[in-house]
Amino acid sequence: MKNDTRNFLICGVLLLAVAALPFFTNNFVIRFATDILMFAIMASAWNIIGGYTGYASFGNVVFFGIGAYITAIMMEKGGMNFAVAFIGAGFGAALFAILIGLPVLRLRGHYFAIATLGVAEAMKALVQNLEITEGNSGIYLPMLNLSVKGQYYFFFYMMLGTLVLTLLVTYFMLNAKFGYSLIAIREDEDAANSVGINTTYAKTMAFALSGLFTGLAGSVYAYQQAFIKPEPAFTVHTTVKMIVMAVFGGMGKLFGPLLGAFSIEIISEVLSNYFLVAHTLFFGIVVILAIVFTPKGIIDLITQKKFGLAYFLQNIREHRI
Amino acid sequence: MTILEGKNITKKFAGLTAVNKVDFKLEKGEILGLIGPNGAGKTTLVNVIAGVYAPTEGDIYFKDKKISGLKPYKIGRLGIARTFQIVRPFSGMTVKENASVGAMFGAQGKTRSAKEAIKKAEEILEFVGLGDQMNVKADQLNVASRKRLEIAKALAMGPEVILFDEVMAGLNFSEIDQAVELIKKIRNTGITILIIEHVMRAIKRVCDRIFVLHHGEKIADGAPEEVLNDENVIKAYLGRRYKELIK
Amino acid sequence: MILQIIINGILKGGLYALMAIGMSLIWGVMDIINIAHGSFIMLGAFTTYWLFTLFGIDPFLSLVASMTVLFILGYAVQKYLINLVIRASAFITLILAFGIEIFINNSALVMWTADVRKVKVPYGAANFSIGNFVTVPTVRLLAFLLVIIISIILFYILNKTNLGRSIRATSQDLDAARLVGVDVARTYAVTFGLGVGAAGAAGTLWAILFPISPMMGGILTLKSFVVVIIGGLGNMLGPLIGGLTLGVTEALGSNWFGSTYENLISFTILVLVLIIRPQGILGGTE
Repeated sequence: MKNDTRNFLICGVLLLAVAALPFFTNNFVIRFATDILMFAIMASAWNIIGGYTGYASFGNVVFFGIGAYITAIMMEKGGMNFAVAFIGAGFGAALFAILIGLPVLRLRGHYFAIATLGVAEAMKALVQNLEITEGNSGIYLPMLNLSVKGQYYFFFYMMLGTLVLTLLVTYFMLNAKFGYSLIAIREDEDAANSVGINTTYAKTMAFALSGLFTGLAGSVYAYQQAFIKPEPAFTVHTTVKMIVMAVFGGMGKLFGPLLGAFSIEIISEVLSNYFLVAHTLFFGIVVILAIVFTPKGIIDLITQKKFGLAYFLQNIREHRI
Repeated sequence: MTILEGKNITKKFAGLTAVNKVDFKLEKGEILGLIGPNGAGKTTLVNVIAGVYAPTEGDIYFKDKKISGLKPYKIGRLGIARTFQIVRPFSGMTVKENASVGAMFGAQGKTRSAKEAIKKAEEILEFVGLGDQMNVKADQLNVASRKRLEIAKALAMGPEVILFDEVMAGLNFSEIDQAVELIKKIRNTGITILIIEHVMRAIKRVCDRIFVLHHGEKIADGAPEEVLNDENVIKAYLGRRYKELIK
Repeated sequence: MILQIIINGILKGGLYALMAIGMSLIWGVMDIINIAHGSFIMLGAFTTYWLFTLFGIDPFLSLVASMTVLFILGYAVQKYLINLVIRASAFITLILAFGIEIFINNSALVMWTADVRKVKVPYGAANFSIGNFVTVPTVRLLAFLLVIIISIILFYILNKTNLGRSIRATSQDLDAARLVGVDVARTYAVTFGLGVGAAGAAGTLWAILFPISPMMGGILTLKSFVVVIIGGLGNMLGPLIGGLTLGVTEALGSNWFGSTYENLISFTILVLVLIIRPQGILGGTE
């Protein structure tokens, strides 16, 4: 118990520190931090279905885009305020997750991954052709009626709040029966079935949660950008980023994705300042090196307290042909 | 009373008939052995009972309620637990977490909170003899401990019937004796047991009744002394020398 | 009219099939989903483009060059990079492929800029007519024939040579193959090389028919997935059937709904096939 209280306190302190950030830095840093938080939400949400349940979705960006578009349509065409649109976005994304999850979660491994990828791409193509989504022209959202600094603060705290919500729900889930059922499914789905777990229900709920939080992130993003188009909203590049972040930070661990989002974004930023032109190229190199040397993620590095060359080489020895 | 009954169970897989018109009855509180050569259909029959397969023909009744065709998790929750021939622990979890899963989702899962389930799991682990390994990761256990864990997971579900599928395979003599004692201990708590085994040493000492499958059909069913001396059983499975060996 | 559309679809489908053959081989043998597949196609396309632009080498002749270059590249990537993580979860390999894709695409972007380029062969507009209703562009027909030839060559390699035998053995049981003396590291490298080489060939043919750019790979990888899934794994004819199906369906769909619906049609088919019959048309039951 003492350990738990201590951990809670540490988290609380860190949270306060982060929450105080906007008061001590300039707009650029606030915006950068907001982006990190956004990716942390998506990576953590992905972690629920990918890391804990073992169903690696390659199409989670579809929830981001759905959240963004529901927000845009509700606000711009429906005249509703952001609070309503935000809730609608989360709800809509979760509902879509359940609808598409029922058929698609029957697939496993590679097939599930590709099916989700197909869903995301199909949705992008659909949005490009529908009238209500304005096709490729995109939708403008009403702007937030605050000062410039006020806006930066607003979106920072929206993303922070959503991240805290995501992590809290995940934490409580892990200590509840539901969390145990997900991990059991990941480890051995047939054995999980035999032991009395309704795997269809569990998987679908996990997918819905994953979709919910990702959709909320998309909603805030849309309002922040004040404009969305199919390509950035549904691009597979976002899925790649969130997965790389979750794995690099440590999948199946509560704070892994957050750590991963932070690290990857910092690394990307450093690279793009250093190598103006070719920074994405070097990002590719970073991904390659990270996955070869630390496939279990940074969290594993930290908890095992091994920082030397031996650890990296051991990973390779375990995994090479 | 008859707690589990199968009538005319047939299971076909695209041309191969694995189980052919098998009738069986399991009386409450007994230990029923199921033996036969490899490929006789024993595991298939257990899989049908457990809901992994629906029978091609025939029905299974649990406490007079038809359960054939139900999904495995439903059958687990009704009160029938099973172990797997090749043990299937949840490798990334500890021993305690493994057993907790059984306690959380088995027949009594709904009535327990997560905390209560974990407590129950600890009791079960003490009962099977894994009390000192509760925080060990499941994939680090030795063979005998893995078997105990497999049993613990099933027990934690709070079942009325347990189906053991070759739970003694790979154990040495003293481990077999311990397993036999454990199975008797389990029966004494009121649980009915169906046990598939090849290890005759164990079958003889633990079963009240034995039935024999061969090529998917039942060829004998009765008290151990009768069945193990039955000509058909000896021809199909035990072998002539067995009679001398078991003296 | 409809016949023309179908012919167009078949010809494009043949190209899709060639793109997918490489991916199918790698997936079927090594259970690796090569996310970077499209990037290799792009490299093949650019090999052809530069050989044509700088040295005037005819694109069809440059097939040999692009296949060889890509084979060597694929061999090296597998041997020195992918082999390092191959026994980790399939997922880890996937992310590695992502990293490779990002690296290759952006290297191309840096070297060659994002400009769209075209290989303008003098005979590009040539065509011939069948009767009064069907026009077949000669170049497309040639490309289609080459697809058949390359498929036959691959089929021959896989089924009639020792190399092919070791590839098939390794795909069925890695450890057993090792035990009988197959050099699995090398076999994997060769397999990846062959798959990527096929991608290179597809790139060459693509360059002859369509404009190219460093970022062209992404959508081609996705289309290859659709083809492989429709046709089914584990059968050399799978990509062919899948490619033709996709090509014709896209052609008909574009005609009826408009060309902007092409992607929607492809991906909806992908999802539907996976939901209804994941093993595809020719795949065996799991």
